[in-house]
Amino acid sequence: MIRTSLRYHRPATPEESTAILVEYAGDVVVLGGGTMILPMMHRAEVEAGHIVDLRGLGLATVTEEGRYVRIGAMVTYGDLLDSDVVAREAPLLRRMAGAITGGNQLRNLATAGGAACYGNPSSDVPAVLVALGATMCLHGPAGERRVPAAEFFVDAFRTAVGGGEFLMWMEVPRLVVEVGYHKLKLCEGSGPIVTAAVVRDGGRTIATVGAASVTPLRFDLTSCVDSGVDTVDELIRDGVVNPWTDVLADGRYRRDVAGAVVRRAVADLREG
Amino acid sequence: MTAMVPASAGSSRREPALGAVEQTRRKHGDQLLVGRGGYLDDHEPPGTLHAAILRSPHPHARIRSVDASAARRCRSVRAVVTGAEALSLAEPLPHFFDPSLVGGRTTTVRVLAVDKVRYVGDPVAAVVADSLADAEAALDAIDVDYEILPAVVDAEDALAEGAPTVFDEWGDNVLIRFPFAEGDPARALAMAPHVIADEIRIQRYQTAPMEPRGYLAHWEPTGKLTLYASTQIPHPLRTNLSTIFGLSEDRIRVVATRLGGAFGHKFNGYPEEPLVCLLSRMTGAPVKWVETRADSLLVGAREYIHRFSVGFDDDGRILAITDRIIGNIGCLATWGGWSMTYPAGMTLPGPYLVSDYDIESIAVVTNKAPWNGARGYGKESATVAIERMVDLVAAELGMDPVEVRRRNLIPPERFPHWTVAKHLDSGDYRGALDKVVELAGYHRQRELQRDAREQGRTRGVGVAFELTPEGGDFAGSYVRGFDTSTVRVSPSGAVTVLTGVTSLGTGSDTGIAALVARELGLTVDAVSILQGDTDSCPYGFGNFSARSLATGGGAAVLAAREVRERMALAAGVLLDTPPEGLVFAGGHVHTADGGRSIAFGAVAEQVYRRAYAVPGLDQPLLEATKVDRPRNLTHQPDEHGRMSAYPTFPYSTHVAVVDVDAETGQVRLLDYTCVEDCGVQINPRFVASQIYGAIAMGVGGALFEELPYDSAGQPLARTFTQYLVPRANDLPAIRLDHQCTPSPYTLLGTKGAGQSGVGGAAASLASAVNDALAPLGVRITTMPLSPPTVLRAIRSGGKP
Repeated sequence: MIRTSLRYHRPATPEESTAILVEYAGDVVVLGGGTMILPMMHRAEVEAGHIVDLRGLGLATVTEEGRYVRIGAMVTYGDLLDSDVVAREAPLLRRMAGAITGGNQLRNLATAGGAACYGNPSSDVPAVLVALGATMCLHGPAGERRVPAAEFFVDAFRTAVGGGEFLMWMEVPRLVVEVGYHKLKLCEGSGPIVTAAVVRDGGRTIATVGAASVTPLRFDLTSCVDSGVDTVDELIRDGVVNPWTDVLADGRYRRDVAGAVVRRAVADLREG
Repeated sequence: MTAMVPASAGSSRREPALGAVEQTRRKHGDQLLVGRGGYLDDHEPPGTLHAAILRSPHPHARIRSVDASAARRCRSVRAVVTGAEALSLAEPLPHFFDPSLVGGRTTTVRVLAVDKVRYVGDPVAAVVADSLADAEAALDAIDVDYEILPAVVDAEDALAEGAPTVFDEWGDNVLIRFPFAEGDPARALAMAPHVIADEIRIQRYQTAPMEPRGYLAHWEPTGKLTLYASTQIPHPLRTNLSTIFGLSEDRIRVVATRLGGAFGHKFNGYPEEPLVCLLSRMTGAPVKWVETRADSLLVGAREYIHRFSVGFDDDGRILAITDRIIGNIGCLATWGGWSMTYPAGMTLPGPYLVSDYDIESIAVVTNKAPWNGARGYGKESATVAIERMVDLVAAELGMDPVEVRRRNLIPPERFPHWTVAKHLDSGDYRGALDKVVELAGYHRQRELQRDAREQGRTRGVGVAFELTPEGGDFAGSYVRGFDTSTVRVSPSGAVTVLTGVTSLGTGSDTGIAALVARELGLTVDAVSILQGDTDSCPYGFGNFSARSLATGGGAAVLAAREVRERMALAAGVLLDTPPEGLVFAGGHVHTADGGRSIAFGAVAEQVYRRAYAVPGLDQPLLEATKVDRPRNLTHQPDEHGRMSAYPTFPYSTHVAVVDVDAETGQVRLLDYTCVEDCGVQINPRFVASQIYGAIAMGVGGALFEELPYDSAGQPLARTFTQYLVPRANDLPAIRLDHQCTPSPYTLLGTKGAGQSGVGGAAASLASAVNDALAPLGVRITTMPLSPPTVLRAIRSGGKP
C-alpha cells in the first residue's frame, strides 16, 4: 500500500506541470502509465507526497510532424501497435512494442516514454530509441529542451531528465531505413536480457545493443557486414566492457550472448 | 498398530461396478471464469482493521530491544504488539509436524520473534490500523536494536565444522537424518562391474500460488473467535488456535475460503494465523492480513544436493545405489515444510528393483526463510536424482535410456512390493513406459534428433519415470491418512455432503459430489458440498498428499450408502415392496421390475412428515457420517524393520524433446508426452488438469524458477519480474494418456492425482537437456537449466 499521504495533480499545461515539479522537487513523481511507479510506491521503494498525472496534456497521440513521427509521452505500447503511422514510418517501434514482456494489461497501460524515463538497463525501449536516432523532447523551467536519445540514457535508472523537467514526446526520424531486431529473454515472463536493433541507412549498418550494459551501446557493423567476415562477436564482446548484472542474468552471460543477438538482428534485417 | 491389508482382502472393499460417475464440469466454475469466485481478500466485514508486520531485515541477529512507542502515535494506529509483549498473550505455536516426533531436534516458536531473528522476513512486531497504508507506514516508526550475528546460508557451509549455528542449543545445524537402507550396498558397489559417482543440485524454488495467503480474524467480545483463512487445513488450524490461546475449540470457527492456488504453500502453522486473532482481540474489531508477493516469495519449498553412486552390470541392471541428500530447509519453523526431506529419501529407489541401497536424507537448517509444503513434497527431488542415475548408466553403456529403465522397473508380478519404507500397491510400470514411448513417437523422435544434429542443431530427447507416494499418514501429528464425511438428505430431497477434506480448486469437491450422486441415483447438480467450515463440517485433515478422494471421497460414498439403505427401507414401505431390489436412478427409487417408482425427494419428504406415524417408516435419520482411509499403511516397523507411511503409489512416464540454442543456452521445449496411472479416475477432466498443471510446475522448476539468496543471506527474488514462472508460450501442447491399475487398498481404486507430474517434468527436462549436450561432451548437474547455466556449461566444454 502507498504509505504516504498523496496529493494528486492533473495539470492542463506543460508550464503548470513544470511549476508543480519545481515546487515539490524531491517529493514528487510523474505518472505516465503507472505500471512501474505505482507498484514501487506500493512496495515503499519510492515515497512521494505528490504525483503529477500527465494525462491532461494531450500527449497520448502519434502524429506525423514533417520529417518526424512524434510519439507523445502517454502513448502506450498498445497505441504503438495500433498506429498505422508507426507501422509505416517506424516499424522498429512496432516490433519492439509487440515483443515487450507482459500481457494486455501492460500493453494497454504502460508507455514507451515512461519506460525510457525509468531508465532500467534491462528494458526494450532505450536501445530502439537510440537506434532510430530519436530525439527526446523535454519540458522544464527553461521551456522545451531537446536531447538526442543517445545522450538521454545516462546510467542505470538515470536519464537526462533534470529538475522540473518531464518528457513531452519523442521524435523519431521518418527515414527510409532497413531494420532488424532481436530480443533475447530467459522465458516468456522474463524481461529482456539483451536486445539488438540493427539499422541500415545508406551505406552504413549500425547495431544498437540494449540491456547488455547500463545504457545502449552502438556498434558500426558496416565493415564486418560488407566484408562478409564474421567478426561481429569479437567486436561486440570487446565493446560490452561493463556489462549489466541483475537477478536474472549476470554480466558475463550478457556479454557472452550479445554477439549472437546482434547477428540474429542482422539476419532479421537481411530477411526483411 | 499394523494396518496392512492383503491384496485380496483389499480388493473385496471395492464394490460391484455401479453406473458411471457423471462427468461434469467444475461446480461453480462459471463463477470463477467471470471473476466472481470470492477469495479471502474479498471478505471485508464493516469495521475491518488492517495488520502489517515488521519483518527482520537481517538473516541472523539478536534483538536487543524493540521500541514501538512512536508507532503507537502514528495515524489511525489501533494496536502495536512486539514479540516480548505477545509472550503473555499467546502460548508457543504447535508445529504442523514436530520433528521431535520422529527423532529430530525442535525449537519453540512464538507468534513474533522474541530474542533472535533467524531469517530475513522473520516477524518481529505487528501494527493494526484503519487502513493497510497507515499500518505499513507505522512500521517505519518501530525502532528495533539488532545485534547482527554471523549468518549461514549454504547448506554445506552449515554442515562445516565451526559454522554459525541457527539454533545455538543444538550445537550444529542438523535437524534430522533420515536413513533408508536395505541389503549390503557397500559390498554390492564393490562387486559391481561399473560404478558411477556424481551429483545433482536442485535450486530453491516454490509453488507461487496466484492468490497469496491471507487471514481475517474476528474475536468477538462474547469470546467467540472466527478466522477466515486462505488455508488448506482448517480443522488442525482451529486446534492450534485453541492451544495457543487456551480457548476451547468449540468457541473457535475457522472458515477456509476459496483458494486461488495452494500447493502446500497454504498448510497451516504460520505465525500470521494466531497473530491476526491476537490483534483482533486487542482491538475488538475484525483484523485482516494478506501476504504480499514479496512475503510469499520468502517461503521456500525445495533445495537439495544429491550425491550418489550407482553400481550396475554390463546389461544395465542396477545393482546398488547410495545417495546422500542434503536439504537446505532454511530456518526451522512451525510450518512443516522441513518434513519434505523424508519423502526426498523415502521415494528412492523409485520404480526400480534395487535390492541394495543406502540413502540418507539430511535436513539442514540455515538462515534462509523456512520451507512450507510444496506439490511434489520432496518426491520430485528423488525423481530427478534417480532418473539422472539411470541416464548415466545408459550413457556409460551406450544403451538406450528407455531400455535401461525397462530392465530395471519392478515387474507387475512383484506387487505388492516392499522396500524399506514403502509397500508399493500395484502397477504396470513397464506398460506405462511402453505406452509413453508409443504415444511420444519416441523412436521417431530419435530419428528426428539424428537429422537435427546433422543440421547442426542441439536436440535432446529426455525420458523420465516418476513414482509419487500419496496419501501420507503420520500418527502422532495432525497429518493423518483418514477423513470423515457426512451425507445429509433434506425433506425436499436436496443432498448435502459435509466433509473434512478441502478442495484447492482441483475439482475434488465436484468429484465427491458426483460419487454421492451416483450412489443415490441423482445428478451432480442435486448434490451440494460443504467444506472448510469447522462449524458445520466434521473434523478433518484438509488437503495434502492428493488424499481427498481416497479419504473424504471414500467416506462420503460410505455415508451415502448408509443413507440410501434407510431411504430404501422407507421407499419399500411407500411402494409396498421389499426394499432389497429397489433401484436408485434418475432421481427416483424404482421397484426391481421397473414397474413403479417414487421420486427421491418424495421419499425424503414422507420420512420427515410421517416417520413413526406410518408403520415401517421408523428410520427418520437421513444423515450419516463415516470415516474412510486407504489401507496399506504400516505405522510400526515390521520384523524386517519395514514400514510404509504412504498407502498409494501413482506414477507417470514422461518424454520431453528440447532444442538447446548452443549460442545462448536457451532451452526450447518442443514436444511433451505423459502417461499417468492414478488408479481409477473419478473424473478424467480433473485428472488431466492436475497433470497439466503439475507438468507446467515441473517445467518451471527445471528451467527457470529460482529463489536466489546473496551470500549475506538476503533474498533476491521479491516480485514476479525476478521469480519467473512458466507462461502459456513456454509450454507445448501436452500429449496425455492414462493407464489404470486400481489401488487394491482404497474404496474406489483411486491413488491420488494431485502431485504426479512435477518430478517427471523436471527429470525429463534434465534428461533431455543433458541428452542434447552429450555430443558436446557437456553435462549439467545444477538446476535450473536456465540459459546462463546452460551456456556456461557449453562454454566450459565439459571441463568443470
